[in-house]
Amino acid sequence: MKRSIAALALLVAAAAMAGTTNNDDSCDIAWQPAATLLLPYFQVDFNSPPQSASQTLFTIQNVSALPQIARVTLWTDWAFPAYSFPVFLTGYDVQPYNLYDLFANGTVVGTSADTPVPENPTFGSQPVSNSANPNFLPDVQSGCLNVPAALPPAFIDELRRIFTVGTMSAGCRVGGTHTDAIGYITIDLVATCAPKNATSPDYFSILLYDNVLTGDYEQLAHAGANHYAQGSPLVHIRAIPEGGPAGAVAATSLPYTFYDRFTAGQPSRTIDRRQPLPSVFAPRWIAGGTNSLNTTLKIWREGVTSATAVCSDYQRNGDLQTREAVRFDEHENATLTSGCNILCGPPPGSPATAAVPATFAVFLPAFSSSGDAGGWLYLNLDNGGSASYSARPGYTPSRPSQAWVITSMFAQPTYAIETTAIALGNGCTPRAPLSGEPKAQIGPAPNPTP
Amino acid sequence: MRIAAATILALLLGGSAAAGTFSTPPSTTNNDDSCDISLEPAATLLLPYFEVDFNASRAAAVQTIFTVQNVSAYPQIANVTLWTDWGFPAYNFSIFLTGYDVQPVNLYDVFATGALPVTSSSTTVPLNPTPGSQPQGNAANPNFLPGAAAACAGTPFALSPPLLQDLRLLFTTGTSSGVCSQAVGGTHANAIGYATIDVVATCAAKNPSSSDYVSGILLFDNTLTGDYQLIVPRDAKSYAQGGTLVPIRAIPEGGAAGAIAPTNLPYTFYDRYTRALPARTADRRQPLPSAFVPRYIESGANGFNTSLKIWRETTNAGACSGADAAALSKSMMVAESVRFDEHENAAVLTNTLGIVPVPPAPATAATAIVPSTSFLFPPNIFRDAGGWLYLNLNNGGSSNYSTSRPGFARPSSLVRASQSWAIVSFFAEPTYAVELPAIALGNGCSPARPFSSEPGGNIGPAPNTTP
Repeated sequence: MKRSIAALALLVAAAAMAGTTNNDDSCDIAWQPAATLLLPYFQVDFNSPPQSASQTLFTIQNVSALPQIARVTLWTDWAFPAYSFPVFLTGYDVQPYNLYDLFANGTVVGTSADTPVPENPTFGSQPVSNSANPNFLPDVQSGCLNVPAALPPAFIDELRRIFTVGTMSAGCRVGGTHTDAIGYITIDLVATCAPKNATSPDYFSILLYDNVLTGDYEQLAHAGANHYAQGSPLVHIRAIPEGGPAGAVAATSLPYTFYDRFTAGQPSRTIDRRQPLPSVFAPRWIAGGTNSLNTTLKIWREGVTSATAVCSDYQRNGDLQTREAVRFDEHENATLTSGCNILCGPPPGSPATAAVPATFAVFLPAFSSSGDAGGWLYLNLDNGGSASYSARPGYTPSRPSQAWVITSMFAQPTYAIETTAIALGNGCTPRAPLSGEPKAQIGPAPNPTP
Repeated sequence: MRIAAATILALLLGGSAAAGTFSTPPSTTNNDDSCDISLEPAATLLLPYFEVDFNASRAAAVQTIFTVQNVSAYPQIANVTLWTDWGFPAYNFSIFLTGYDVQPVNLYDVFATGALPVTSSSTTVPLNPTPGSQPQGNAANPNFLPGAAAACAGTPFALSPPLLQDLRLLFTTGTSSGVCSQAVGGTHANAIGYATIDVVATCAAKNPSSSDYVSGILLFDNTLTGDYQLIVPRDAKSYAQGGTLVPIRAIPEGGAAGAIAPTNLPYTFYDRYTRALPARTADRRQPLPSAFVPRYIESGANGFNTSLKIWRETTNAGACSGADAAALSKSMMVAESVRFDEHENAAVLTNTLGIVPVPPAPATAATAIVPSTSFLFPPNIFRDAGGWLYLNLNNGGSSNYSTSRPGFARPSSLVRASQSWAIVSFFAEPTYAVELPAIALGNGCSPARPFSSEPGGNIGPAPNTTP
């Protein structure tokens, strides 16, 4: 019910009719094939044997008949692109990866443009040849043979160090400190296997726009001798509009895009055409103690650094401000980490990706005095903006930053569930005001053009 | 890459006409303004499958829990309808949600003890620290019907013993002591069915099949969210699976009960219940897609294996008998399923052309849990341990569905594609369990898909309806 208090008189007015019934034609993040997939959080204990190690697996699926190339980039929890590799997918291909293999053994499953294509029984189930994608660049047939190359041991050591203590061999700090390798992953549809990532100056000259990828992830974990798993679809970020060759600049109504902070200097700030992600979420929480379900939130947040960031800039992605967090208990009592708006400062920051227990009353509000063991959180994860973000009319003083939230619940011995948190609005929604501001009301976002 | 088969052929012959082309800019950047099912607050929530072993003790019983959350400051009323696996609306109950309320429901309580969630319009509203976090009074929702406060002050919190017995029978044998003269559900040891949760204007004993439900009490505010958990106790090998309830938004949202608003939706989630209404889209609920691409793993005893929870729109209103009998939806055809293994080899199972004529013909009820090794899907011919399935779950249509609009029917079809939802459940011993929604190829407004053997039947993302 998107009304301000003052608008209560509008009892029977319905909004305008639906703007679109098309696929791939809105700002809504849906479970439909996409051009970019986001794994918001991964965690790998590469020091333990595989049977007892926490590890993250993910799978990429090409649901089109044409071959595709996916560029997988591993980012630290401070949003530093530490490593990327290409995946050549024949038509209708599916390719699983276990990040434990990468961090523990230094191996990545190879794919190749010379993979045989089978003969299938119906016209519509037939993959087309590995050279049939008209958007591939000319070097694909030679550049995508048996990729990626084997990783030298020194590079594996470097990766382990970057993802656990956050330091590069050059001494620069690009990530947080934790026992397990922690970070996030983006998977983009591209036109070549060339070694580039989203911070490369010419990345948007190889990025493609076909919504053909799907994927999911599984986190295998252990609580003492007990084993459990959690998982969900990867975040499906569509190109709007889709189609066209690499580097094509197409008109889009998206006010800004997923890769916005890397598009300064490009012919268009929306050149990637990727849907932006929302900034406000309403995850449920349970804090049932030792004998019941307890909640951890996996929170991905857009960094503030640009494509030209130098090593020392990445620490800014390790302490991203949160605009407001409100905890509602089962009796609707609210506690806040902000919202007083005058004398109170914002809640403490968090890195670009992190797993946060719902009981963590530093980043999240304290519990109410009701003693309730459950409720839900209102998380306005806007980080306050950045000079690297584009400016668009209607988004004042700046657009909200992007985020994603996953709710993980676990109870002993092995009850484990993971769900995507509901967003209050989509990525095109203007910044939500603080709940202490005039006319502000926590709730579903209003339409920008109602 | 939405290239039709003919285009692909042209490309193979050396053409590159498609390169450099792309669609028009998006029609909308609004919330609640498209046909996409997105993880945003909604006016209807769907729990596609539930299962409850009400004969076991609470500690040992398979049970389904779901939670309904009101993310608005206004009070809302959620009407929960429990449907049998053949789509018979067996029972409904109301949940009164104060502003920002959250209410869990364990269906074990319903089926084992007859206990319903206790909510009331007289619940105390707290005083919160900021205006923006303050729930409104319990009478503040302007769309509530005049008698809502009284009707919701004392909603039933327990089922009578005869009603409880009937519910148990309906959800395990499909029969009852007197509700229906013929079966309206399948036979299974556990109670199995699905649930819908609608935002409504009063607490009443009505469900979507009631003649005055859509026109009289259904509301259109996208304010509800929710999730579910399936608990499987096995002592030290216990596990749980869960996900988000399917959020089905009202497009456009807002307005009083019974308000007819124009919508571009070609048909709606409750389409089969709008036959007698002034507008076939009176419920304004987004329709669900019909084609999905769930992944499967079949690793045997020592690895992950896959089950699919499949919800399907029934062909009728789910009555006890007659032309709308729920029994007519107990075995709805599946248009086509294709298994792609990890080497992209395809096996095809179709209901029309019989390319791989494996009897019995693939069909399911309105909700079911099906192993990926089931006859419903093509056999795993090449024995790869993984891959994915293309599922065109269109049931072939029904005269109860609204007449197809231009562009929304195959030439050989009389009506639109039926709606469905698919959930992928992975499990590996001893306790690795993962559940996730299957990816849909298109949204609920996408036209019915041709068979993969037909011209233009290339498996892939759905084309835009108005590209």
